[in-house]
Amino acid sequence: MNKLEVKARTLLVTVAALVAIVLPLQYASASTNFAEAELDSATMLMDIEVTATRRPLATAQELEGAKLQSLSSTSIADALKYFAGVQIKDYGGLGGLKTINVRSLGAQHVGVYIDGIRITNAQNGTVDLGKYSLSTLESVSLYNANKLEKGQSASEYASGATVYLRTRRPDTDSLSVLAGIGSFHTYRGRLNLQFNRRGWQGFIDGEYLYSKGDYPFRYKSEYEDTVGRRKNSDIRFYRIEGALFHKGFAAHIYSYISERGCPGGIVRRLSDKYTNIGREWDTDIFVQASWQRAFNPAHFLSVNGKYSHEYLRYDTDYPENQNTARVNNHYFQNDAYLSAAYTFSPLRWLYVNVGYDARMSWLKADLRNFSSVRRLDQKAVVDAHFEWRGFRAQASVLYQHYKDHTKMKAGAADPISKFTPSFIIGYNWRGLNVRGWYKRIFRVPTLNDLYYTQAGNRNLKPEYTRQWNLGAEYTLTLGQWQASAQADAYINHIDNRIVCLPLRGTYTWSMMNYGKTFCRGLNATLSGQFNPGDWTFSLLGSLTLQHDVNRTNPEDEETYDIPICYSPKTSFGLTGIVAWRNFSLTISELHVGKRIWSYADPDDILAPYNNVDIKLSGQWRWFIASFEINDLFDVQYEHVPRYPMPGRNFKFTLTYTLGKT
Amino acid sequence: MKLRILFSALILSLLGRAQERLIVVNEGLWQTDNGKLSYFEDGEMVSNEWFRDVNGRKLGDTPNDIIRINDNLIAIAVNWSNIVQFITPVGVAVAETEDVPNNRKLATDGRFLYVTSYGHEVAIDGGYQEFEKGFVAKIDVQTFKVVDAVEVGYEPEGIAFYDGYIFVANTGGYAFQENHPYETTVSVIDASTMRMVREIDTGQINLYGKMSQTGRYLCINSPGDYYDVMAATIIFNCRAAIENEPDEDCFIKLEYAATYNTVDLDGNFLAIGSRYSYYSGGYEFNYVTINPVELFATGGSLGVEDSLPGSLKEYILKLTMPYGIYVNPYTGYYYATDAGEFTGAGALLQFTPQGEYIGKWKTYINPAHFLALKPDNYTDDPEQKEPDDEEDSSIHNPIEYSKPQIYNLQGIPIDHPRSGEIYISNGKKFLQP
Repeated sequence: MNKLEVKARTLLVTVAALVAIVLPLQYASASTNFAEAELDSATMLMDIEVTATRRPLATAQELEGAKLQSLSSTSIADALKYFAGVQIKDYGGLGGLKTINVRSLGAQHVGVYIDGIRITNAQNGTVDLGKYSLSTLESVSLYNANKLEKGQSASEYASGATVYLRTRRPDTDSLSVLAGIGSFHTYRGRLNLQFNRRGWQGFIDGEYLYSKGDYPFRYKSEYEDTVGRRKNSDIRFYRIEGALFHKGFAAHIYSYISERGCPGGIVRRLSDKYTNIGREWDTDIFVQASWQRAFNPAHFLSVNGKYSHEYLRYDTDYPENQNTARVNNHYFQNDAYLSAAYTFSPLRWLYVNVGYDARMSWLKADLRNFSSVRRLDQKAVVDAHFEWRGFRAQASVLYQHYKDHTKMKAGAADPISKFTPSFIIGYNWRGLNVRGWYKRIFRVPTLNDLYYTQAGNRNLKPEYTRQWNLGAEYTLTLGQWQASAQADAYINHIDNRIVCLPLRGTYTWSMMNYGKTFCRGLNATLSGQFNPGDWTFSLLGSLTLQHDVNRTNPEDEETYDIPICYSPKTSFGLTGIVAWRNFSLTISELHVGKRIWSYADPDDILAPYNNVDIKLSGQWRWFIASFEINDLFDVQYEHVPRYPMPGRNFKFTLTYTLGKT
Repeated sequence: MKLRILFSALILSLLGRAQERLIVVNEGLWQTDNGKLSYFEDGEMVSNEWFRDVNGRKLGDTPNDIIRINDNLIAIAVNWSNIVQFITPVGVAVAETEDVPNNRKLATDGRFLYVTSYGHEVAIDGGYQEFEKGFVAKIDVQTFKVVDAVEVGYEPEGIAFYDGYIFVANTGGYAFQENHPYETTVSVIDASTMRMVREIDTGQINLYGKMSQTGRYLCINSPGDYYDVMAATIIFNCRAAIENEPDEDCFIKLEYAATYNTVDLDGNFLAIGSRYSYYSGGYEFNYVTINPVELFATGGSLGVEDSLPGSLKEYILKLTMPYGIYVNPYTGYYYATDAGEFTGAGALLQFTPQGEYIGKWKTYINPAHFLALKPDNYTDDPEQKEPDDEEDSSIHNPIEYSKPQIYNLQGIPIDHPRSGEIYISNGKKFLQP
């Protein structure tokens, strides 16, 4: 690997960004090795590019740059649904909770990281992906095992699957203004100011969105024909963020303020008189900074810090809402995080990464019989990485310690101290990469699981996962043609599932460790690109085949060895992009197979669906216009029974940019 | 499915008349609109979506209670749909109202239906009456309209009718985050005027769950607060409450839970209770038979046994999650339900009047509430009995079961019944275990 290639790659990326055409293949630069990359005047850009394009040893998928922007997507959840092995749970509408589940591990096993620092929610352990915007991102990637980079923090080893969001570093000075309009009374405005001066880059990005979300839906079956419009599905949010970069330093400030309706499931009603009105107000703010430095090829240091504040108010005190208790609850969550990781490469074929993280979380809420909870979460990791010719191996041990403090009557849960291992081996031969990995990891019970009034159970044990994976990847570049394919077969075991069951009598639910799941599956992706002259033709495909079964109770014939709820056997996505100069057309098709949602009745299924999205965008002078149609064929579908998704909808945006784009 | 019902009805009318008929209400999963009725008849689970089969539409979300109003009418409280649904004994929907939102449990005097509600408003005469706490609504079953309502405590749950009065157990524990304490009272309402005449303080918080009634006695469950106040059962004497006895003479508190309770033909309460503590994080189950007459006669020292009839307890212990217990008031057959894994089908277990296990049938999700229908040749109506004298207390006279002769379906006496076959005994069909 030589410097020239790195530079060429860098140049190519810049050019691609400039003319807004589709980026070359994911992980196209085959074997860029950080250790070999020398530090020179181009270090700053090289750092970014090198970390971005290094071929991952573990199973990974990535969408970046123009490809990411050319998809019809408003939130990160929309982008992730194109990845193999991902199941989205979406309650519908722009305001509906959107979480992802990877290889059926459960949403709480998926860690989401912005620039290497985890977005946490100590309260419920899941991240609502609807709250994060794609517009300031360079790439979205999913790693099934550890990402394995130098200076990786201990918490990056701590999730069953990991989603990385990488913020774009501006390479020009510009001011751009965006205005958008969409179906169901959706209006959007965005302002972006960015600069790149004397080795410093930064941006300020502000966005406002309002959507009434009154989309039509229909349930039609032998015994039902319900037609209606979604009510109380509105959302209004303000997002303001800023970032500053200088060489190995990056800082990011993010704030998101929203108000939304929380509609319930569509159930039988005699009129519209009583609806489930609940409203939610959120304020999410975080400040984070990271600093990375390679002292020489043998020493690499990385330090991260973050402070986040989350406020949530939930109110159901409305006359239309006679069903639920009249509550007006306020939750405050604060989180302080520090991490340091040091990578030492004593030999050409070996490096060792050690890392330590500490996170303190505080949760306060005006619930009855609840007093504030404090959690100290510490992690330490030792990771050794060997590399000899095409052969690579990695082994790591993660130590995690959790301790809670609370003045609640029942007291705090017992501290948790656990070691968990993972290892990966891989072999690379002329563009063919073969890999095998194992990872054991757990998720600790969240503060809600443990302490939430009337449901919490402080005796919960961690929920464990064991993942085995065998895969191969092949990349080919021939003149104007590029292609890559990967396939991974996996086996997962999940033990001690943390679930909510009504054990004290009807309507009084509590958290329990109950259930085992066994998953087998195949994830495959394919991408190809052809660049004749001004044209770019790209094709991206992903396929998931899985067989996830319930192994909880061998005595229960109804459920044992039967597929678990919400897990489709087959799903696939296919995206085609045609770009010519400053114009691009994207057509994507997503298929999700049949899912059962209960074992009780063969009719309790979510029907398979196909979603076709189209996006057309073009640039003329200072203007970029884009028009998209989502769910072209107006397919009615659901991720959660009785929570209909919006059908066909349109979006139009116009961006005016002053300065270079 | 409709055809199948018609067909089975035809078969049964040819073979003889149905004796053991039971509706099981499956709550389904919350906000999933899958509350369902199961219909069980003489050893056969005829349908697990009986309402849908008969009416061609869905029942609604989270049905909470079912009650027989009179020979022609049954009411179902469909809680999350805010609907009180009226059906005939053959399952045909005849009326429904959403005038009582957040309806909970039902009681009747045969002419009016009384509904408890956690809600704060009721529709009467085209207008709305609002309440700070919960209320009881009175529905005229000739017009299916609310004719009156009265405010009671916060989150009124169990309800019973006795001798012109309505008795309501208040929980105060559902809207836990609202700024009010747990309730400890039983409200007594004059059914004719719908005025509250008395509030009896039981000293026990959170009177929650369906109550069962035998004559003047009520069995009321309290799960406690899961911390320092342990679960308990209140055995309540309606007669004493009407006759203005002091509060403490109107009830006896037992240190058991009665999460699921019912009443047998001898007038005993049968209860399955689960007691939870946040301190231990554990559950304690109890299985008790309570004789209220003996209990009150001895001032609470006798009348409680740690057992259930026959092999009920043995089988209930084997269930994944017990979810209901019931005795057919006409025939004395025992039933229990298992909620299983909650996302899977539940099960209905049937036992003979001696408590011997007969069999198990698949239901739908969360089978929680029961209503036995009158056998075809039944004349004595247990529901309409005058509950005045101490002796009977509405205790129904069970048919003599001491030496039942068994017949096959052709009416031939059988000495050695074969397992898995249907036979007739005392005019009832049953499945030989």
